Amino acid sequence: MNFDAMKKNQGESNLLIWSTAVAFFAAMVAIFIYVPTEQTEGVVQRVMYFHVPSAWLSFFAFFVVFICSILFLWKKEREWDIYAHASAEIGVIFCSLVLVTGPLWARPIWGAWWVWDARLTSTLILWIIYTVYLMLRTQSDAGSMRARYAAVLGIVGFLNIPFIHFSVLWWRTFHPQPKVITNEGIGKGMDPTMLATLGVSLCAFTLLYFLLMGVRVRQEKLKDEVDQLTREKHYSV
Amino acid sequence: MNLFLSQVAAIAWKDFVTELKSRELFGAMFIFALLVILIFIFSINLSVVKASEVGPGILWAAFLFSGTLGLNRSFMLEQENGCLMGLMLAPADRTVIYFGKLISNFIFLSIMELFILPLFMIFFNIDILEHLLPLLFVIFLGTLGFCALGTLLSSLASNLKYREIMLPVLLYPLLVPIVIAVVRMTGQALNGTPLSGMMNWIGLTVSFDIIYIGVSIMTIDHILEE
Amino acid sequence: MDNLGFLFAANVVVWGGIIYYVYTIQRRNRALEKDLGLLKETLNKEG
Repeated sequence: MNFDAMKKNQGESNLLIWSTAVAFFAAMVAIFIYVPTEQTEGVVQRVMYFHVPSAWLSFFAFFVVFICSILFLWKKEREWDIYAHASAEIGVIFCSLVLVTGPLWARPIWGAWWVWDARLTSTLILWIIYTVYLMLRTQSDAGSMRARYAAVLGIVGFLNIPFIHFSVLWWRTFHPQPKVITNEGIGKGMDPTMLATLGVSLCAFTLLYFLLMGVRVRQEKLKDEVDQLTREKHYSV
Repeated sequence: MNLFLSQVAAIAWKDFVTELKSRELFGAMFIFALLVILIFIFSINLSVVKASEVGPGILWAAFLFSGTLGLNRSFMLEQENGCLMGLMLAPADRTVIYFGKLISNFIFLSIMELFILPLFMIFFNIDILEHLLPLLFVIFLGTLGFCALGTLLSSLASNLKYREIMLPVLLYPLLVPIVIAVVRMTGQALNGTPLSGMMNWIGLTVSFDIIYIGVSIMTIDHILEE
Repeated sequence: MDNLGFLFAANVVVWGGIIYYVYTIQRRNRALEKDLGLLKETLNKEG
C-alpha cells in the first residue's frame, strides 16, 4: 500500500468515525430526551431503540457473510474471506447484545426473562450457528482450506434462516406483532416520534457496522502482511 | 447418467461390504439409540406425562444421536487410511462421492430405525401399526434431510482438528428446523392425523431436503479439494 | 418507574459490549503493529 492511498483511506475513515459519532450522539439525544415515554410499558420501552437496531445489524451482517461466502467460492479471492470473517464476528457481537437486552426488556414487561417464543428461539439458534462458524475458523490453519470450509458454512447457515423462521413460527409465538412494518404499510403502528428515534438509531448502528468492518478488515490485512513477512524471515534464515 | 449411477452404487456398496466384514458400526448405533431412549425414560415419569406427547421427541433424539455416530465414521474411516485420497483420485465427479456416502448413511440409519421402532412401540405402549404408512413417510423425509446435511458437514468436519466434537456442534443447530418439523409430524401421525393435515410441515421438510441436497452438490467440490 | 434499573442495565450492556469489542480490536492491532515493526527491522538488518 503506497502512502497516498493510505492517506486517502485515513481521510475516509475519519469521515466515517465522525459521522458515526454524530449519529450516535443524535440517537442518544432522541432516545433519552426527545422521544416521549411509552404509556403502557414505561421507561424500559426505550431499550427497544438499542434492541431492534442491534438485531437489524446482526441480520445484515449475517447476510453479508452469505454474499461474501458465495463470492469467495466463485472468485477464490482472499479479500472476500476477510470480509466474511469480519462480518460474522460483528454479527455475533451484536446478536449477543440482542440476546442480552431482550431479557432485560422482557423481564419487567412479560414477567419472565426468557420465553420460548419464535423470534427469541430463532435469534438464539442464529447466534449458535455463527458462533460455530467462528469456531470453525479457529479449527483449521489459515489458508485456502479454512476459507473454503467457512464459506460453505456461511452459505449453509444463511440458507437455514428461512427454515428456522417458519419452523419456529409454527411451533409457537408470543412476540409483539411487528409494529414498524405492518400489513397497512410502513410505520403505521407507531407514533411518528418513536419511529423517527428508531430511524436515527438504526442509522447510527448501520454506520457503526461499516466503521467496525473497515477497522477489522484493515487489521486482517495487516495480519496477512505480518504472516507473509514471518514466512519470508523463516525462509531467508 | 448410467455411469454416474453405477459409480454412486460402487461407493455405497463398498461401505456395505466394509460394514458386513467388520460389523463395528451397526451394533454400536443400535445400542446407542437404545441407551438414549432408556436415559429419557429414566428422566421422565411415564405415569404423569402422556407417552404419545413425549414419545416422538425421544424417538428422534435417539435417531439423531446414533445417526451422528454413523456420520462421524463415514468420512473419518476414509481419512484414517488415506482412502479419501484414493476416492478423490478415482476418475469420478466429486458429487459421486457425496451421493455414495449419502446413500450408505441413509440406508444404515434407516435399517437402524426399523429395528428401533418396534422397541419404541413396546416401551411407550404406543400402537404404531395403525398409522404405519404416514409414520414411515415422515421418518423417510426426516432421515433424508438429516443425511443430506450430515454427509456434507461430515466431509467438512473430517479435516478439522477436533472432528468428533465439531460434527455435532456444526450439525445440530442447522438441524433445528427439521427436528421441530419431524417431531411435530411424528406426533401428529401417531395421533392419527392424515398426511394432508400436516402439509405445511411436509412442505418445509421436502424443501429442506431439496435445498440441502442442491447446496451439497454445488459446494462438495470446494470441500473435497486438496 | 422502577423499570429504570432495567433500562440502565441494558445501556450498560450495549455500551460495555461495543467498547469492549473496540478495545480488543485495538489491542490486537497494537500487537500486530509491534510484530510488524520487529519483523521489518530484522529483515532490513539481514537484507
